[in-house]
Amino acid sequence: MAMTTTGTVNEMIMSSVFTLTTPLSRRFGPRLGQLLSKRSGTPDQVIETPSFVTSTSRGVVPHLSRDHHRATKAIRWANVPFETFLEHNPPVPTLLTGANPMHNFLGFVPGQHLLSLCIRDPADGREMPPNGNKHTSAYCLRGVRKVSPENWRTYVEACQPDMVVAMYDQPFTDPPYSQKRLTKSIERTSAWLADLLLSLQSSQSSRHRPLVLVQMAGGTNIAARKAFSTNLTDILYGKEADAIAPLTCLDEGVFGYTFDLVPLRQSLDPTTPDSPTPTADPTLPDPVPSDVSTQSCVQTTQLIPFIQASLSSLPTTKIRVTHTARSPHEILRLIQDVGIDIFDAHWAQKAADVGVALDFQFPVPKHGATTRRNGKRDLGHNLYHSQYTHDLCWMASSFSKERPCTCLACSPFSPATRIEHSIVDHDSQDPIASNTQKPSFSRAYIHHLLHTHEMSAHSLLTMHNLTILDEFFSGIRSVLSTAEGKSFFVEVDRFVDEYDETLEVFDEARLLWREVDLARGKGRLAREKSKQTQSTLGTAIQG
Amino acid sequence: MQFEVLARCKTTRARVCRMKLAHGVTMLPTFMPVATQAAIKGLTAEQVDSLGVSLLLNNTYHLNLRPGLQVLNEAGGAHKFQGWQRNLLTDSGGFQLVSLSKFTTITEEGALFSSPFTGEPTMLTPEESILIQHTIGADIIMQLDDVVSSLTVGPRVEEAMERSVRWLDRCIARHEASGKTTTQNLFAIIQGGLDPVLRDKCLDEMTKRKDGVAGYAIGGLSGGEEKDIFWKIIKQCAEKLPEDRPRYSMGIGFAEDLLVCVALGVDMADCVFPTRTARFGVALTHGGPINLRLSKHAVDLNPIDPDCPCPTCKDGTSRAILHHTVTHETSAAHALTLHNITFQAQVMGRARTAIMEGTFPEYLLSFFKQYFGDNGYPEWCVNALRTVGVDLLREGGKVISGSGAKWEYAED
Repeated sequence: MAMTTTGTVNEMIMSSVFTLTTPLSRRFGPRLGQLLSKRSGTPDQVIETPSFVTSTSRGVVPHLSRDHHRATKAIRWANVPFETFLEHNPPVPTLLTGANPMHNFLGFVPGQHLLSLCIRDPADGREMPPNGNKHTSAYCLRGVRKVSPENWRTYVEACQPDMVVAMYDQPFTDPPYSQKRLTKSIERTSAWLADLLLSLQSSQSSRHRPLVLVQMAGGTNIAARKAFSTNLTDILYGKEADAIAPLTCLDEGVFGYTFDLVPLRQSLDPTTPDSPTPTADPTLPDPVPSDVSTQSCVQTTQLIPFIQASLSSLPTTKIRVTHTARSPHEILRLIQDVGIDIFDAHWAQKAADVGVALDFQFPVPKHGATTRRNGKRDLGHNLYHSQYTHDLCWMASSFSKERPCTCLACSPFSPATRIEHSIVDHDSQDPIASNTQKPSFSRAYIHHLLHTHEMSAHSLLTMHNLTILDEFFSGIRSVLSTAEGKSFFVEVDRFVDEYDETLEVFDEARLLWREVDLARGKGRLAREKSKQTQSTLGTAIQG
Repeated sequence: MQFEVLARCKTTRARVCRMKLAHGVTMLPTFMPVATQAAIKGLTAEQVDSLGVSLLLNNTYHLNLRPGLQVLNEAGGAHKFQGWQRNLLTDSGGFQLVSLSKFTTITEEGALFSSPFTGEPTMLTPEESILIQHTIGADIIMQLDDVVSSLTVGPRVEEAMERSVRWLDRCIARHEASGKTTTQNLFAIIQGGLDPVLRDKCLDEMTKRKDGVAGYAIGGLSGGEEKDIFWKIIKQCAEKLPEDRPRYSMGIGFAEDLLVCVALGVDMADCVFPTRTARFGVALTHGGPINLRLSKHAVDLNPIDPDCPCPTCKDGTSRAILHHTVTHETSAAHALTLHNITFQAQVMGRARTAIMEGTFPEYLLSFFKQYFGDNGYPEWCVNALRTVGVDLLREGGKVISGSGAKWEYAED
């Protein structure tokens, strides 16, 4: 008894569907789904949910060359914050022509990589100038830029992503926000959504029309959140109805709902660091790299009522997305108590930035990372630690002692083809068979690369962590599909009991990251150093 | 090592050789990318392999510090540690001792330096260097030599040359006693500074020891000396070195330097330049280097070189997205590193094909024309190639003095 999101937007959008494959008895609770994405001229893409979206920085998956991001099967969906492209006017991606312009520009493969666009980096909680009735403020290296609804629809039309987050009014001024400010936020977000839906409908172009996600407005005010949702489903009349016809309400044009957790956390706990201002004085030691999501003391249980409030009156069949969940524990609770379908990989990618190799599984396996004093097991290995100097094992032992994980770091393959540069090169192809599995890169090797400041460490860790995260979601889906819902709840409890949620291993890795940086990073530009202090992904490049 | 000369250029001294080592065949002439810390910056061993590279360089000094010999031993050598299944060369560690440590003193026994770990005086002897290189396990290992800057003058140059000869004897003795001569091959390093008389003396002494030496490197150059002196020393050494041994010119990486050296009879070269310059946003092309940080590339949707077989260009990665990410995202450094290593391999690969087909002089003419075009040919290249029968100015063209290295400078 599959239930399908049925919009009446148009044939092209109709062709991509999100289907819940578990009978939905309740509004909130774990669920299985399938996102079938269609794009003309490319094979259909299926993403089983719950699953995740890979975060990007400046349009690329940090640390991965194109061959690596393609070979990493865990990368099925990439989310691209558009704001960095505002450095150039008009933004360079909008100058592209032909089919799949944004995919091609960034090296993503239509049919293999679902590409979504949003304006701002969902992990960036820095204070920003206020938005206006006709613009939202975005951040790029050349400063703050204003983006109007008209700008946004032009960019979206030119880029042809598979999915787009409608422009929304999220204040990034000092919380708390007054009721008046929240009302304004709701009105603007609704108006800007209507504007995008209208332009996508009236577009004469035969280009690909993206699915629309809406950011759920209302901040930490339950009533405001409910009011926003009601706005979406209200049947419109008169001029407003004409504007979005044949849609009868905004929600009909919406493919799914998204929740950015950073502003929620900041609103609930004003001490949550946003993006600490980098030290201006290069002679001072660098601040320890921080992360908005992991350093907040806001508990998942505090977030849930707000997410539920938004969803309480909306159709249950649409896809639900959150950004910057901070741990697998949080992910499991949001699946269990809300029924979130898509998370981002931000925390796992950030772990790769600071030298942590993930090693955990759901349901809880026999083997895995080390146990700490509080009796909990770590989610991964801080490969900076000297205990790995001689450790020739592959990174994750969760699966079994006999089988490495399937990422290109743990299961590398000899190349399928090699470039021949001369007419006599065929002789030098031997003795290595092409496309054959090679031994895993060891913890000791990555430990060595981290301590010698080699960028390859982060490439290997990124591929690995995304793959472990993929296995985690696959484990969640298999528990949800094979048994009664009850066993999922039991396994969540076991997971929470077993693994350390305080993420101490991440903190320890960050400290060692800094030590190595101080010892070896003399040649780095201060500008690049500042990157590590921000919550954005990626590390600086060593000169 | 099995070493065989497959073809010789009828005009210049260039040649194609087949060098078979324990980890496969490497065709010469070739350029060796440098993986100082057991990794080409940002790449995996498989990526480097896919570019058609079959010989990499690791630095002994660095690997001895980290991960250290015990780890390398446990891992079964540097090949296994870094997942590199093809050929590997290690230097002796002597050059870094001098360039990275101010406190190194050279005695007859070896190089005395303060340990970077404990600060205690530590001695690197020729025997110790060979021992370390045995543990690393590279297919080609280098003798410890007494390195002086190429700008040094006076008796120190002669002393260093003579000591290098004596240290070669100790290296040969240690290497032969180890029983590793079938899997690892010892190269000697010709020293003698910029003095042709000293170079000749060194060549005489070291070629006498040919039976204990699998190949020869030309050391002590690329240290800021005049280019016209540089090529003359290379020519002198290449002419005098035995035909049946590979010749390796250390620290050479600019395309024009590589091709001049090949024309003078050099088979191998290494340099950090192509990988280092990639991290600063420079892509090497047959029309000269391109600085992708310049704003003129911001809206250029063309790849670096549409005809380049590297993964970056083959994928159509635009100059615009490289401009957008370069110096901000490590992945831009990876993209340019993949490209630049391929470019170097291509310059040398095309030389091999041209030598095999008897068209090497034409290749030199067309390469230099495309690379230096209207800017003018470096005078020293014109001079050097004339001595081996190739006249870059056959069809006219401008000449520029100085090093002549081509560069796309920053704006303003």
